[in-house]
Amino acid sequence: MKPKSLIAKDAFSKTIVWVFLLAVVLYCLFPFAWMLSTSLKTEAEAFRIPPTWIPIKPTIDSFIGIWVRKNFGIYFFNSTVISLATAVLSTFFGALAGYGFSRFFFRGRRFLIGFFLATQMLPGVLLVGPYFKILSKVGLYDTRTGLIIAFLTICLPFSTWMMKGFIDKVPDELDQSAMVDGCSRMGIFFKIILPVVSPGMVATILFAFLLAWGDLLWALCLTSSEPMITVTLGIARTVGEFRIIWPMLMAGSLVGGMPAIILYVFLQRLLVQGLTAGAVKE
Amino acid sequence: MRIKDRHMWTFFVLPGILLLVLVLGFPAITSVLYSIKPEQASGGSYTFSQYSNLLKDPFFKTTFWNTAVFVSLSVATHMILGLAIAMVLNSALPAKPLFRLIALLPWVVPDVVAGIIWKWMFDPIYGAINDVLLKIGLIHSPMEWLSNPKLALFSVILVNLWRGFPFVMLILLAGLQAIPRELYEAAAIDGASKADTFFHITIPGLKKMIVVALALDIVWEVRRFGLIQAMTQGGPGVLTEVLSTYTYKQYFQFFRFEYASAISVVMTVVLLLVSLPYIWMISQEE
Repeated sequence: MKPKSLIAKDAFSKTIVWVFLLAVVLYCLFPFAWMLSTSLKTEAEAFRIPPTWIPIKPTIDSFIGIWVRKNFGIYFFNSTVISLATAVLSTFFGALAGYGFSRFFFRGRRFLIGFFLATQMLPGVLLVGPYFKILSKVGLYDTRTGLIIAFLTICLPFSTWMMKGFIDKVPDELDQSAMVDGCSRMGIFFKIILPVVSPGMVATILFAFLLAWGDLLWALCLTSSEPMITVTLGIARTVGEFRIIWPMLMAGSLVGGMPAIILYVFLQRLLVQGLTAGAVKE
Repeated sequence: MRIKDRHMWTFFVLPGILLLVLVLGFPAITSVLYSIKPEQASGGSYTFSQYSNLLKDPFFKTTFWNTAVFVSLSVATHMILGLAIAMVLNSALPAKPLFRLIALLPWVVPDVVAGIIWKWMFDPIYGAINDVLLKIGLIHSPMEWLSNPKLALFSVILVNLWRGFPFVMLILLAGLQAIPRELYEAAAIDGASKADTFFHITIPGLKKMIVVALALDIVWEVRRFGLIQAMTQGGPGVLTEVLSTYTYKQYFQFFRFEYASAISVVMTVVLLLVSLPYIWMISQEE
């Protein structure tokens, strides 16, 4: 049996841990709660002094307003199409390259891996200027296609690295035995590897999707007209307006953040796996 | 056996490489060329005058300094909070997945959304933060979080702590889970103190993950754009201006393409230097 002082010490440190955890939970969640609360207020109530914490007369007017009075539908559509296309493209090319790096030990392999890693480090602002000029020249400025091409620069390096991590975990014997059976490399890749790593592909697609969905810089530099802009840019523009209607902006932010949150909640385990096993090798 | 179709690597790796060279390498080099473009439209030789302009620009100096403060404080606080939470989550704890889920939420939402929520919370009159602080008596008059010159940068860093610690926590938690439990049990039997265990088992066991988290976090914080753009757009004045927002302004508000390129090239060089140990470490393992 432990002496009394030790038991007290145990209880004390346990309390500390729980108080700490509670504070962390509060810190993480409070901003979301405030966003939700504001989004349900009328404009008049949002400007009450002191602020009310729970809306007196909750209303979903703002949630209707962003679709009806603002072009949120268009933004949402653009963001979805652009992010999805980027995610699928970069995951496909990433899987190809990831397989190549995982299975072949060619000269210059280490250098090319270093190159892929280095490209992850480049800042977006290094590229937005040339992109603006080049896309304008070829008529892709202010188009969804232009943004998809641009987002590949952020996503492809990550996708390659994540997919390589997942493919590394598939034993090479699988490839070998398929080859003995007369399967070609391409056959192995498409018919054996891709199905085996499909959870990893989902994680990679998700991660690339979140990267593209969350961007502001590129959308700000490469699109401008209402029919082409993304959710994040739509939200950012509202902040720049002369008079900010906070309930509406909070409703927009909530809806704009929702796809990321929902995808994440459902695919949490996969994403965590992908990040820690692929982007970060053990 | 595997030697037989050795050349097939090109089929798999080359499309990705070519794509990267096309969509990333080519614009990157273009940007470098902009930065040394001759000043006269016709002829003239390449010049480094944009770079010497940088040194003369007081705003650039402020921006550079802001970035250094922003990044170092952000990364340091991410590491401390991230490690603390990861250690708590790694101990026997009920509802661990739920806590991990909650702790990751700030990291999942878009930068802009994070920035805007906090901008609204920081509102001096209608915001939640002043309301709470006034009610519990910590302050006696509303604070101007984002417009007070002395506070603005630190308010932004505080938001960035919220935004960025989850990633570090995630990486370090993965590292902690890889440390064998037996090591801790053995240490406990030998009567090692908590501090001893921390410095002789936890930290050495985490070394690699710490390098990874540090490198990636530094790179991400240097590039951080949407958060600041949404909250302050670099203001008041240039007090929360960082290299990424400053470059953006030079490009798209002042249309000084050559000058903006020069800033971004400097940024790139810094980023590559910072991440070199990480790149080296990872590619050596291959």
